[in-house]
Amino acid sequence: MTCALLSCKAIFKEVKQMQLPVLNDAPSAKSGCSASSCGTTDSQMDTLPDSIREKVQNHPCYSEDAHHYFARMHVAVAPACNIQCHYCNRKYDCANESRPGVVSEVLTPDQAVKKTMAVAANIPQMTVLGIAGPGDPLANPEKTFETFRRLSQEAPDIKLCVSTNGLALPEAVEELSKHNIDHVTITINCVDPEVGAKIYPWIYWNNRRIKGVKAAKILIEQQQKGLEMLIAKGILVKVNSVMIPGINDEHLAEVSRVVKSKGAFLHNVMPLIAEAEHGTFFGVMGQRGPTPDELQNLQDSCAGDMNMMRHCRQCRADAVGMLGEDRGDEFTMDKIEDMEIDYQAAMEKRKLVHQAIQAEMDSKRLEKAQKAAVKPAVAPQTRPVLMAVATSGQGVINVHFGHAKEFLIYEASPEGVRFISHRKADQYCGGDVSCGETESTLQTTIRSLAGCEAVLCSKVGYEPWEMLEQAGIMPNGEHAMENIEEAVMAVYLEMAKAGKLDTEQLRASA
Amino acid sequence: MAVKIIELCTNCHACLPVCPSHAIYETKPHFMVDPKKCTECEGDFADFQCASICPIEGAILNALGEAINPPGSLTGIPLEKMAEAMAELQAH
Repeated sequence: MTCALLSCKAIFKEVKQMQLPVLNDAPSAKSGCSASSCGTTDSQMDTLPDSIREKVQNHPCYSEDAHHYFARMHVAVAPACNIQCHYCNRKYDCANESRPGVVSEVLTPDQAVKKTMAVAANIPQMTVLGIAGPGDPLANPEKTFETFRRLSQEAPDIKLCVSTNGLALPEAVEELSKHNIDHVTITINCVDPEVGAKIYPWIYWNNRRIKGVKAAKILIEQQQKGLEMLIAKGILVKVNSVMIPGINDEHLAEVSRVVKSKGAFLHNVMPLIAEAEHGTFFGVMGQRGPTPDELQNLQDSCAGDMNMMRHCRQCRADAVGMLGEDRGDEFTMDKIEDMEIDYQAAMEKRKLVHQAIQAEMDSKRLEKAQKAAVKPAVAPQTRPVLMAVATSGQGVINVHFGHAKEFLIYEASPEGVRFISHRKADQYCGGDVSCGETESTLQTTIRSLAGCEAVLCSKVGYEPWEMLEQAGIMPNGEHAMENIEEAVMAVYLEMAKAGKLDTEQLRASA
Repeated sequence: MAVKIIELCTNCHACLPVCPSHAIYETKPHFMVDPKKCTECEGDFADFQCASICPIEGAILNALGEAINPPGSLTGIPLEKMAEAMAELQAH
């Protein structure tokens, strides 16, 4: 199994969310999480009850600031699947949902437990273990549950998560509730079988392969029933949706409304990833993914409706480490076999590390809440601006333009600075005519920044500088090693001062 | 009478638990069917169970050596579209 290209499932991605919500405003200049990278959207946490906030605030996938401190890992123990999605090719594993194909190895539960404990001992910041595939974890109930059972007993300080398409969810809820599992992610792309029939060609159900609208109807019913049952058990539910232009893009606002009304605490809309070389139905048929603008518009339109995760990195089903990084190579089975793990000792160490992180996070959160009370000095009608930032983490601008593999997109407005999304330097080729085969990497990268008016990096070369300017994006290398949010705000204020943000001017979009 | 799993199999395990005769076993380089145990689901189910959950077109053959899930039957990708995409990729 080899996965053709990028990305995938987003199970464990993060979201935003903030504690200490104090104000109902979007955040403003912030020192933010030390590592920062992400802005904040305090308002998104405001709607969460304390009990849920308590559960998610230190989860790297659900908490925007926690993901700078805590790490997660996935173990690929679940190769089988019970449905087909048009964005997935089982030969390469799933392009959008998980990509274990690239993943090297499917593990037995015993190997998965060993790997988890080895990682926990070596990366004490690792607090969360997820099972996300490569197939559907609940279509592999014995492997999935044996892994959870053993980890609940042998490594009780690790939180467990699972991601599913929902078909087998109702009958799994009872078992799920017995372990340390308080987060379940369901991928729900539709609540209308007519829409579903365009996304799911078949399901395996009651010993038959069922196709078309009938199949989609059963899947949707099972997803919704499973969602309701999890909520009734007090288990947190996140909903993932893949945004597919022309198929479910308009429908997803309804999905958001429905799943929220049933108690899902978070809705994560991810862009479709479809390339012909994936061999998926959508890839081969030329179905395009959403542009960054389309994705952002949808996320914005759902945001008032529901908490959203914007910095989901669609990571793979065997990722190890902090979000956005993968240290899987350090923990291949042959290396793990040679490691001697004293888990009792490791737990002691982990506890100390977690306490220290908690103290630091608490102080950062307090600081951020205080800063959020200060509004930037621009007129309230000033239009918002998108800016791209090249960073490798630590919350500062520290990557050369030419070395950036991804950019973080921020929006500056009179409300402050907020994190919008990650963009891979070459991910957003929509496959339309404007995307010529001869396009250089540099051109592709600049295209990926469509909609942004400035790009902040530690340095920019001469050639890209000119091309960026021609594309209407101001290169800026003046804030190297500075805090991201503060630098973005500084550039925004300069633009305002220079009269570039005067009211009627609409945001230059792609 | 028995079905056969061929090299297109990706070892995804999906067929293993659904076989009523426990005729499928894990081995290298891919899963296999024990022809002595396979009943073609006769008496248990109307459809071949392994082929009803298998996601890979052409990976399971019937007793006549024909693909139970022929190309295009599971993905819904028209054959000419797939051929076009493959030709396009090879041209690069």
